[in-house]
Amino acid sequence: MRRFKRGTTTRYKQILKNKSSILQEDMDKTFTSDIEQNESCIKEMFEDCFDIEYRRIDVNHNRKWLIIYIDSLIDNQLLEEHVLKPLVTSSAQDECHVNAEELTSELISVGTTSVSDHISETVSKLFQGHAAILTAGSSKVVTVCIPGLAKRSIEEPSSEPVIRGPKEGFIEHLSTNLGLIRARIKTPKLKTESITLGDYSQTCLVMTYLKGIAQESVVEQVRARLNSIQVEGVLDSGYIEEFIEDQPYSPFPQVHSTERPDVVAAELLEGKVAILVDTSPYVLIVPMTFWTGLQSSEDYYIRWPIATFVRWVRFLFIHFAIFAPALYVAITTFHQEMIPTNLVLSIAASREAVPFPAMIEALLMEIMFEALVEAGLRMPKQIGPTIGIVGGLVIGQAAVQAGLISAPVVIIVSITGISTFTTPRYSLRNGIRLLRFPVLILAGTLGLYGIVLGFLGIMLHVTSLRSFGALYFSPVTPLKMSAFKDVLIRLPIRMKSRYKITPEHEEGD
Amino acid sequence: MRTLKCTFLFLVMFIVSGCWDRMEINDLAFVTGTALDLTEDGKLLCTLQIAIPGPKEGGGSSGGSGHMGNFYVITATGKNGTEIHRSLQKKSSRRLFFSHRSVVLISERLAKQGIHDALLDVFTHDPRNRLKTYLVLVKGGEARNILELKYPLKQVPIEAVNEMQISGDDLAVTLRDFFIMNQSEGIQPVLGAVELGDHLKDPNEQIFKFAGTGVLKDLKLAGILDENETLAMMWVTDKLKFGRITTKLPKDNGEVGMMLNHTDSKIKTKIERNSIKFKILLEGTGVIEENNSTLDIDDPEQLKIIKKALEETVEDRVQQLLFKFQKKYKVDSVGFGQEIYKNNPGKWRQLRNQWDTQFQEASISVDVNLTINGAGMVHSILEKQE
Repeated sequence: MRRFKRGTTTRYKQILKNKSSILQEDMDKTFTSDIEQNESCIKEMFEDCFDIEYRRIDVNHNRKWLIIYIDSLIDNQLLEEHVLKPLVTSSAQDECHVNAEELTSELISVGTTSVSDHISETVSKLFQGHAAILTAGSSKVVTVCIPGLAKRSIEEPSSEPVIRGPKEGFIEHLSTNLGLIRARIKTPKLKTESITLGDYSQTCLVMTYLKGIAQESVVEQVRARLNSIQVEGVLDSGYIEEFIEDQPYSPFPQVHSTERPDVVAAELLEGKVAILVDTSPYVLIVPMTFWTGLQSSEDYYIRWPIATFVRWVRFLFIHFAIFAPALYVAITTFHQEMIPTNLVLSIAASREAVPFPAMIEALLMEIMFEALVEAGLRMPKQIGPTIGIVGGLVIGQAAVQAGLISAPVVIIVSITGISTFTTPRYSLRNGIRLLRFPVLILAGTLGLYGIVLGFLGIMLHVTSLRSFGALYFSPVTPLKMSAFKDVLIRLPIRMKSRYKITPEHEEGD
Repeated sequence: MRTLKCTFLFLVMFIVSGCWDRMEINDLAFVTGTALDLTEDGKLLCTLQIAIPGPKEGGGSSGGSGHMGNFYVITATGKNGTEIHRSLQKKSSRRLFFSHRSVVLISERLAKQGIHDALLDVFTHDPRNRLKTYLVLVKGGEARNILELKYPLKQVPIEAVNEMQISGDDLAVTLRDFFIMNQSEGIQPVLGAVELGDHLKDPNEQIFKFAGTGVLKDLKLAGILDENETLAMMWVTDKLKFGRITTKLPKDNGEVGMMLNHTDSKIKTKIERNSIKFKILLEGTGVIEENNSTLDIDDPEQLKIIKKALEETVEDRVQQLLFKFQKKYKVDSVGFGQEIYKNNPGKWRQLRNQWDTQFQEASISVDVNLTINGAGMVHSILEKQE
């Protein structure tokens, strides 16, 4: 947090200055009472834009109303039924409504409407699926919300599947996502603050937290960091994550991202702050601790002894994922005396024909494995099975038979691969995948001593990391025994085992 | 700049403190056993058994083709350990790796001459030696014969010694035990002993067997105890995990065998002005395993007779053993001196220099107490049921 503060205060000011200068000229412009002038103003703005539509409604051959909308963003049926129909009917009856307030209260039967005389505000509404109604002789423009952009249906989240538990996942539509959270926490204390980011993308973000449970200082900090973001476009919550995290150079994720509304609801109840980003199905949650990365939402839905056991399995295998290849290399090239005699002989036998040193061998296989994972992710689904055959047979069996790679290394790499995927959070998993390589190189050059150095380095880093004021490794460091009810064990929920995170401030902060 | 300095310091730390003994596993020759013999002209003959890593997988993996005796043996002679080691290394293309050695065998002839020069120094100094290595005396013949024989069960034959030492009721002495015994006050070290055994059907295959205990005095072999004496000694020194004792019953000439599951031993010292007295309390629990006599074990009275006979046998054996130690070998292998040292260090300081002679004069009494817990599955004798 200290780091964040040091660099940022000056940066904020600069950013704010830039931001305002871009939008300043448009901001000041307002509509006039001349409808022709207003129309030409908009038309000038939307020159060469094919999908903007202008619909006129005349009363007594006198232009009365002009409806402007972006065809691709609105629902035509709603437009016809709730906007065009009443306006046309009223024009036929020769009733003249000049006042904007009258228009919304008497003619338009659409829920969300707004009135403004600022051109920029109206234009930004157009992009949110509003239709703007310009009235002759009035500088007030009414916008009505009739969004019609196609959206995905709610599906099971692909990145965090569970067997038991809700199968709903977030989609790319902000208000749907917000609704999924509201459906779980029904209280006005759930605050949803909106902020628009991105000079061009104008993406809507919603910061949500439970007032009274979330720490005020954390909320304040999130707000400040979000407001300081200066970016052209926000295409996914990943953009935001990068801007607000404390330590951008760390392999460990400091912002928890999830596709599951039940996870967000649970974290909100723990006093965290969630950030929803429009057009992204991933919701960010801060502050994050290391242990969040090792917990799956299913832990709370299955019976607690099993959940505890599963957590231990994950904890064990996160170590495997980082240290298994390193240990193999260190022990076989530096500490042969540590292996039981029979095992050392069979390892030696399998290495007999291998031309590479153990470290190179392990590195090769690890990189091959990463390539397999990456290829499996990116390749079209139709040729997916090919990867299995090529990867499994060629790299596994054939390489061993050809004497290029020894069988124990293949086993170790497989174990490591499996271990990586026991970590339930995708972002933490990626960090671990990355850490494996430096540790492996340390092990190959310095043996177990190198592994110890690597472990110490990782621990030093992790324990000093902070996420929005909360220590990343808490409650283990600093030790807080009362919070252990929900770290490596999960005690029954009736024991109020969920750990509420409290940021620990550094001295002199 | 500060980070640069820190990084530099870190790098220095890596390089300075790193142990650069990187060695690929297939560039090592794993020594699994060492045999030490004495040549005709009084030099040390050192034999190493080196394991050959099994066949490469993929090729010839069909069925157990029986890769027995996957080892080879190299020998070298020399006056001291370093010299021998150097010439052995010259005979091996791969670096000799001693940490997996499970057995060091010493021939009887060498042991008689004294093992101080040959052994203690080389084995104490080199940190690559595993303290769990068994130190075994080879009774009769050359120690290297044991290393060369083909043992039917193991891929690396000498591992069998390892297993036998752990599983049996035989005395197992590791380097560590040996060093401790050697450095302790009032006790002389002993060694387990093996000898070559029967040939199997394949004349190339031969087994070896345990042959009691070698008793050392001042690191020279004083004598070898037989199997029964070894059992008695292990019981007295409280090292016995389990064992079998048999006895002839006095009246009807039947034989009874008992298996001991749990044994315990206590040595009490009693020092008077001129005499030193020891009392050995032996306790054992077990089951009757064999009963060839006409006695019925179901009858408590008759069981008492069996119990008494067994106790007398044990007592007799222990007395015989003590006689051997006190009068024949004149060596305190049990550690009676150590008991005095533990209980009365002041007295031991006076006694230490004359313990050799004092030990021979000490009176030692033995008290055996057996508990028979059962008689296995069949209680009565088979003959009776006919």
